[in-house]
This record gives sequence, C-alpha cells and structure tokens, in this order.
Amino acid sequence: MVLCKGVVCPFCGCLCDDLEVEVENGRIVSTKNACPVSRSKFLSHAEDRAKPMVGGREVSVEEAIGEAARILREADFPLIYGLSSTESDAQRMAVRLAELTGASLDNTSSTCHGPTVLAAQECGAVKCTLGEVKNRADLIVFWGCNPAEAHIRHPIRYSLTPAGMYRQGKKDRFVVHVDVRETRTSKMVNQFVKVQMGKDYELLSALRAALRGYEVKGAAGVPGEVIRGLAERMKGCRFGIIFFGMGLTMSRGKNLNIDAALRLVRDLNEHTKFLIMPMRGHFNVSGANEVLTWLTGYPFAVNFSRGYPVYNPGEFSAVDLLCREECDAALILASDPAAHFPAAAVRHLASIPTVVIDPKVSLTSKLARVVIPSAIAGIECEGTAYRMDGVPLRLKRIVDSPYLPDREILERIIERVGG
Amino acid sequence: MIIKNGTVYDPLNGINGERMDLFIEGGRMVEEAKGEVIDASGLIVLPGGVDLHSHVAGSKVNLGRLMRPEDHRRDPVPRTEITRSGTGYTVPTTYVTGYRYAILGYTTVMEAAMPPLTARHVHEELNDIPMVDKGAFTMMGNNHFVMKYLKEGNWENLRNFVGWLLKATKGYAIKLVNPGGVENWKWGKNVEGLDDRVENYGVTPREIIRGLARVNEELGLPHPIHVHCNKLGVPGGFGTVIETVETVMAEKARIHVTHIQFNSYGGEDWATLSSAAPEVAKALNRFAGATCDLGQVIFGEATTMTGDGPWQHQLFKLTGNKWYNSDVEMEVGAGIVPYTFKPKSLVNAVQWTIGLEVALLVEDPWKLVLTTDHPNAGPFYRYPKVIEWLMSKKAREKTLSEIHRVAPSRSTLPSLDREYSLYEIAVVTRAAPARLLGLKRKGHLGVGADADVALYEFREDDIEGSFSRARYVIKDGEIVVKDGRVVKECWGRTFWVSPPGELPEDARQEFERHYTVSLENYPVESEYLPRSEVIPCR
Amino acid sequence: MEVLLNTGRTVDQGVSMERGKTSQEYFEKVAVAFLHPEDAKALGVGEGGTVRITTEFGSVVLRCFLGNTERGSVFVPMGPWANALTSALTEGTGMPFLKGLRARIEAVPGGKPTTLEELLASWRGRSGSV
Repeated sequence: MVLCKGVVCPFCGCLCDDLEVEVENGRIVSTKNACPVSRSKFLSHAEDRAKPMVGGREVSVEEAIGEAARILREADFPLIYGLSSTESDAQRMAVRLAELTGASLDNTSSTCHGPTVLAAQECGAVKCTLGEVKNRADLIVFWGCNPAEAHIRHPIRYSLTPAGMYRQGKKDRFVVHVDVRETRTSKMVNQFVKVQMGKDYELLSALRAALRGYEVKGAAGVPGEVIRGLAERMKGCRFGIIFFGMGLTMSRGKNLNIDAALRLVRDLNEHTKFLIMPMRGHFNVSGANEVLTWLTGYPFAVNFSRGYPVYNPGEFSAVDLLCREECDAALILASDPAAHFPAAAVRHLASIPTVVIDPKVSLTSKLARVVIPSAIAGIECEGTAYRMDGVPLRLKRIVDSPYLPDREILERIIERVGG
Repeated sequence: MIIKNGTVYDPLNGINGERMDLFIEGGRMVEEAKGEVIDASGLIVLPGGVDLHSHVAGSKVNLGRLMRPEDHRRDPVPRTEITRSGTGYTVPTTYVTGYRYAILGYTTVMEAAMPPLTARHVHEELNDIPMVDKGAFTMMGNNHFVMKYLKEGNWENLRNFVGWLLKATKGYAIKLVNPGGVENWKWGKNVEGLDDRVENYGVTPREIIRGLARVNEELGLPHPIHVHCNKLGVPGGFGTVIETVETVMAEKARIHVTHIQFNSYGGEDWATLSSAAPEVAKALNRFAGATCDLGQVIFGEATTMTGDGPWQHQLFKLTGNKWYNSDVEMEVGAGIVPYTFKPKSLVNAVQWTIGLEVALLVEDPWKLVLTTDHPNAGPFYRYPKVIEWLMSKKAREKTLSEIHRVAPSRSTLPSLDREYSLYEIAVVTRAAPARLLGLKRKGHLGVGADADVALYEFREDDIEGSFSRARYVIKDGEIVVKDGRVVKECWGRTFWVSPPGELPEDARQEFERHYTVSLENYPVESEYLPRSEVIPCR
Repeated sequence: MEVLLNTGRTVDQGVSMERGKTSQEYFEKVAVAFLHPEDAKALGVGEGGTVRITTEFGSVVLRCFLGNTERGSVFVPMGPWANALTSALTEGTGMPFLKGLRARIEAVPGGKPTTLEELLASWRGRSGSV
C-alpha cells in the first residue's frame, strides 16, 4: 500500500494540494482531505474509460490518431476546443496543432469566465493570491457563486474559517453572500443579500454610487439601507475581497456585470485595500488562458486561418462557430461540450466530423467520429495546473495507466498532420 | 566555422575595432578551426548581446499580455517554415520575444522579476522563449521570512533561507523591488523613506537592503543585489537612490540599481519635474561597487509592469488607464498599467533626457548597462535607437528639438557633447552585463567563450537601422539569424545558482500555516529546467 | 406557469458526473428541477413529481424537487437537460445565455424524465424538441 501525500486535486479551481491518496496494487483505494467531488474523481478514475473508436468501431489508438489527423488536415475551418481539464504541456500542443491546421482554438473560459476576461481587458483588475485572503481579509463577499456546491473546500482552506496570519478564523471575518437565491453557501455567511435575477449590474452600480456619496434609494430588489450599509462596510473594512462566479458572467449583462464589479473594487481602493477574484471552475482553465496568452497574446477564441493569431470572442468562440455552422470539423480535448453547451451548438457538433480526446466516455464522445482515450492529468500523468488565483502547481502521477497523456496524443497528431 | 576579416569589438579582451579572424568549434570560441567561412569584411563583430533586465516571462508579464489585445492586434507575426506565429507589440508572445532578441543580436536575456510562489510559471514561459540563454531574478525584498529574520537579527537563518529560496526557485540573483513598500501595500500603504517601518514587521527598507546585500556577498553570488529602489517615480525623490547606494557601500557590498532613470527625478512635483541625473551619476562615479542599468524612455507605447504595487496604483490614478494589481501571499506584489510616452509631454520629455544623461555623465561605461526596463519605458526592439542617441549628439539634438520646448532646460543633456564609441556600446550591451552577471563565457569572444556572436553592417548615418537587424547571429556556434531573419530556431539554457542553505526548521511550520500551498509542492521541480546550467558562487 | 430558468452546479451533479455521465446516478441527479414549495403547490406538483419545462429553444421533462430556489424561478443543474433549454445567443461575447431565461413550467402527472438517449437522438436528428 502506497500513501501519496501533498497530492494536487484535478477537479476545480481550488487546486487543493493537501490531499492524501492510498494506492493498493496500482488502484486508488481511498482519499483523505478530498471533497466529495474530488473523492468521486479519484475513486472512479478507472471506471467508464473511453475506448479508441472510429465511426463507432473500436480500433487501435494509432488508427484513431491517424483518422484524427486526416480529419484536421482536410478540414477548411476546424475548431479545437476544451483544454481546461488537462495540463499545460497538452495545452501548448493544442496551440501548435491549431497553428498548423489554421484552426480556431477556444477553451471553456468562453462559457465560464470569458466575460471576466473581456471586462478585465477594458479596465484591469485588482487581484491577489488566496493566501492574502486567508491571512488578511476581514470582509468577504461571495457574489453570484456557490462555493458550498462548486468550490467545496474553498471556505475551509481559503475564505471562511482558516486561521491566517492576521485573522484567527471565522469570527474575525464578516462574510456576505449576494445571489438570486439562498443556497447552502447562504447558510455559512453573516449576511445574505437577495438580488433580482438579471439585475446585478444595477446593484453594483448602486454600490458604486453609494460609495461616492450619492443618495441611493434601492436597486435590484435590495432596499437602500442595505445597499448603503454594504457600501459602508466595504469602505470601512481593512481588507476586503469579492469572489464571483457564473451568477455574474452568465446573467444578463455578462461582461458588463463584471466590468461594474471590477470598477467597484477599483473605486474601493480609494478607501481601503479591496480585491476581486473569479471562482474558476475547472482545475486548469486558468492554465488554458495562461498558455494561450503567452503563446498567442490572447486567452481564448483565437483563430489561426491567416497564419497568425486573431482574437475575436463572438466570432471564434466555440458556441458561436458551432451555432453559425461555420466549423467543418472539431477536435474536443479535456472537456464535454455536448453536456455543457446549449443544444443548438451540440447539434452542429453532431453533424460534423468530430474527434474527442478524453479519459472517459463523455457525451461528446457519443457523437464523435473519432474517440481517443487519454490518461487523466493529475492521477495518471503529471504536468502543471494553474489555480484560480494563478498559482501554478505540479500535478502528480499517482497510478500508472495504459493510456497516453493528452500531450503525447496531440504530438502524434501534429506529426501526422505534417508539423 | 571561421568568421573572416571582420572588425572585432571585444572589450573584455581589450579588442577595439581590430580586423581579425575568429574561430568556432563545438559551440565555443577556439584558437583555430576549419569549416564554413563567413565573410565578415565590412562588418563589425560583437559578442552576442546580454540583456540583464527585461520582463519577458511570468504571471505579471502574462497579465500584461492578457489585458492588451489592442497591443497585439497592431503587431501580428505570421508563422513561417522555421518560426512560430505570435503577436507583439509592447508585450510580445514568448516565441516572438526570442526571435526578436535574436534579430537584434542578443543571445542572453534575464527575466528581471520572479515571484517565488509562481516561479514555475516563469520557467514555463522561459522554456517557450527560443534563441536565447536565460535566467530569472528571485524577488525577496518583501518576503515574510526575510523580514522576520532581519527583525530577529538571525543572520544564520536569513542566509540559509535566501540560499534555499534561490535553489527552490532556480533563480539567478536576489531581486529587491521597493523593499518593505510592497508589504505595506498589502494594507493599501507604502513606505515614504528608507527608515520608515514596515507594518507588523518593524523593519525598515534600509535594513532589508543592507541585510540582503550582506547575505548576497556572504553567499558569494555572482551578481550583486539587483534593486528597484524605493520612491520610484517621485519628483524630488532622487535622494533615495543615492542613500540606497551609500547604505550598501557601507556594508562593503555591491549593488546594481535597476532602471535608474525612474529614480532620478528632481523638482517638487510633476509640473516642476527636473533631472537629477548629475547627482545620481556623481554617486555612481564615486562608488566602485555600484552599477546600474538605464531604463531609457522611448517615445511611443509602453506597458508598465513592476513588482512595485503601490507605484503602479499611483500610475493608474495619474493616468486613469486600465490597471492590474497582483499581490502574492507572503512574498511580492505587482501592477500593470499601459502607458504612452509622448514627446510633447513635459514630464515624458524630461524623463527621456534622464537615462541618456546618466549614461553620458557616468565616466566608466563598465558601470552601465543599456536597458529600457522592457516593456516599462519602451520595447526592447528599440534598443538600437538608444544606441543611436548614445553615439550621436546630432541624433540627440534632433530629438531635443522635437520634444516639449521647456524640457531641455530641466536637464543638462543639451550641454553634453560626449558620444559613445562602438567599443563603449559593446561594453554597455555585452561586456559589462556579462561581467556583472558573472557569466564568464558570455559577453566576449576570447577562447573558451560560448560562440554567441553578432555581426552588423554599421552605417554611421543610420545607427538605429544598423543595430536593428543583424547580418549574422551565431548562437552556440550555429548561424541562427541571417540578414535580420531567423534561419534556424534554437533553444538556450537557463542559468541558476545553487548557494548553500537549507530552510530553517521554524520556517517549515510557519510556511504550512500561512501559505496556501504545502511546502513540499513549493520548490520548482527539475522538470521545469530541461536545459540548464548552475553558475558557481564565488 | 411562467418562471425564470437558472442553471448551475450542485454537489450531486459534480459527484455523479465524475462517476460517469451515462450512469443512472447522473440521470437521477441532473435530470431534475428545483422549485420553491409555494410555486410547486400552485402548480400541483409534489416532491418527486415530474414537470415539463419549455423555453423558446427546447423542452424537457424533469423530476421535480422542492427548495434550492426562490419563488418565480426554477433551478436546473448544469448539464444536457438544462442545455436543451438554454440559448446559444452570445451577443458577441462567446458566452451563451445559461441563466435567467424565460421558461414555462407545467406539471406532468405520472411523466418520465427525458432520457439521455432521447437527448442524443435530438442532437443527431437535428430536431428541437424531445
């Protein structure tokens, strides 16, 4: 029995690195410190594995790779999408492949925190790493996110209860939850503020106005005195932070909601130390943004048809390319758009030659012409992942597997495509 | 390979424009060799350029890229058979960074600021910069443990910690950025002077500077402490840089002051901004152990990015431009703000005079390195313009006539006649930085040196053009650039240092308590340095 | 009843997803809709009953549970059932509409939640309704 300590979890943007995993006879038998989803991922790692397929027929991995290369080579306007659940070397290979095939390259941030990036490209952002929050924050605002269900250990590792250098624990922190509905997160906090659906922009603007001394009577279903009280509390704290999620990025306003939040935080820095952090969903979507940015200059929705990177969210983002039926082939890596894209986009994906590289049987693989099974990053192969706050950690290989890492599969496709 | 009949400038070996043949074999300069002959008649031959301060890799550089799609759209770089695609302009992508340095004839580049917690990111990006040898400076001036041991007066622990941290980050040198000020910035404040106390730690910037300078020498590190001084960008704040130098000199240690232009401001406010280059140059002239790089302003677009969080916030307030802030627990901070230097802005024009003034007033060119603190004061591909200004009074006069009409009176630049010779240019772009970094096989062309060679066609009437595109660049004995184009992609190595030092016991527990990563996951694994070389300490 | 549709993560969705999206557990945890008890009462559906939710983009039958949302809205965990209802309109941002959509909800007494096979067929068959 082997005990692996300091294991980095490959599920969500928390990238907890204190997991302990027990391995017996090459199989994971138990985990410690893992949240329920993480535990599920580790313990079921060997289940439901994808098999190499072409046209519904099981084939050798080499044959599947060959067919994948053919599809990409022959496509006029291919899409390469996903990237967020694999490690940075695979992401680098994906950029190389996109460059060689003149593809559009997009990652899951386009349907997650892409709007955050769009807003930050307009006004920047005041950010920090999670340890700054743990050590210093006395005011925490969860806005449009639900860590209790989506970033399960975030409250105990970073934001709610841990003892930090200047904070003993929860009693030294005031925590606010702003959302359209009460969730399990609301039960952990000191104050819940219910905002009307689609009205976050109004509430954020009202806070900015209150901060500047304007009279605020109420907004988004929130009474004026609650808004004024919150503004005062934010102004008067020593170190505050807003954690935000899909409640802001996906609702009406999208990137404009984030823009308002970023500017609110910027305004607050006139009075005190205040920061903001997006709750990144996948464990390496941050990394996908980083890798694409250092190689192309752009974080997502990049196109290489002209031989150089061109950036245009809305034009080269995956949902758009699929809905407008512009791409004539797709390679889906480390993501499952059939499960998480609106059906209109999935229908086009089903109609074009699609290659799926995934450790598991994903819904997209059921629509794909080619399926190539890969090793699970962080369990069966090592690599780098970037946490929600940009901190890079090395994923470990806990068990061996017969599967190739994503990066190697991509390298072989690149070779066959002619790179 | 034989480089035949070129006019060689090799200051480290005292060669000043001699017509001679050079021989290369096995990637090194040798006494004699056979093989391919490069006809270098009519060309000048210099060692490959060494940039000892540039922001090219890591999380804040990438934030700079991320926040500026408009910067990249102006400068797309298509792929070729040999080279990858990418984008510029002020914060180019990694491949483009490598190619453009090579085209300039540079073969070694040091990343100026590496936060320990995100060192992995720096190395990942460095591994995607082709063509050049590289390294990165580990930031320590606002580090929790450094300040703690200084406060305790525990020199042994401090020395151990610093040695350990350099190894853990695979860093090359000790970097300080606004020491003490960035820790205060984590509460929204700054430091006002060298003897201000850092909140909760009770140490002063002076103590941090002195302590790290001392440790630097005790560990025998090749490079001096590399310091971005307190009170950067403050009119009238030039006294701080002089005091900083004096503090280190009193320790009998060395100091390298980086982008000294930004700390050399006289006057009382922005309206009365004047150059304090004469005072600063005087201090540099006085002290043998003090060196600097310029941080010369180039008019046009820039992206400011430093570890000086509070200063970057200030710049946001002054300009209203978009602003990224990035604080890293226990260690460092950073800020990024796009900026445009305009010749008709009085402030920018005065700033422009200062870097050149310092270069012309410091008597010994071996104490100076040409930089623009890329991309803070301008992109590195404009270094040839700085060379032109240094070599040609006429070129300076032309620019002086184009800037805000009051600016020349705020500086002594108009009165300076000195013109740099090619030899001196070779000093400030090759020989001096190599020597300062302690890289014995760089910056010269003597036997045993790495065969990193740059050949230019030098035209007196177009100095900038002459240095913008090398005729030939040889890296490790292979031709990689011809006529200003990359003809072969190659990969350099990462230099790092491995001084003695283990993490003190009491630090282990504190680390686990206050950081949000486990200690075992903190040090950079060797997988991140596929090609590396440890440079020995003295 | 007219409601606003909200979609998002739940722990059960995450855990069952890691077990496998073709699993019975995933079906049971994700082909669901959460309604406020008062709205459920007005609709005439109880805990565990089935409802049909329709938007201009599609329509699915889901098993209904009480709680986890406010009056006037229905919460469906992220996944293929939610996405049968969501809009692909990104308004030039790349981000489709996954929250805050107008939806109609009606009780389907004795109904059966739309199966994954039916969803797959709808994707392959290029038709909008299931």
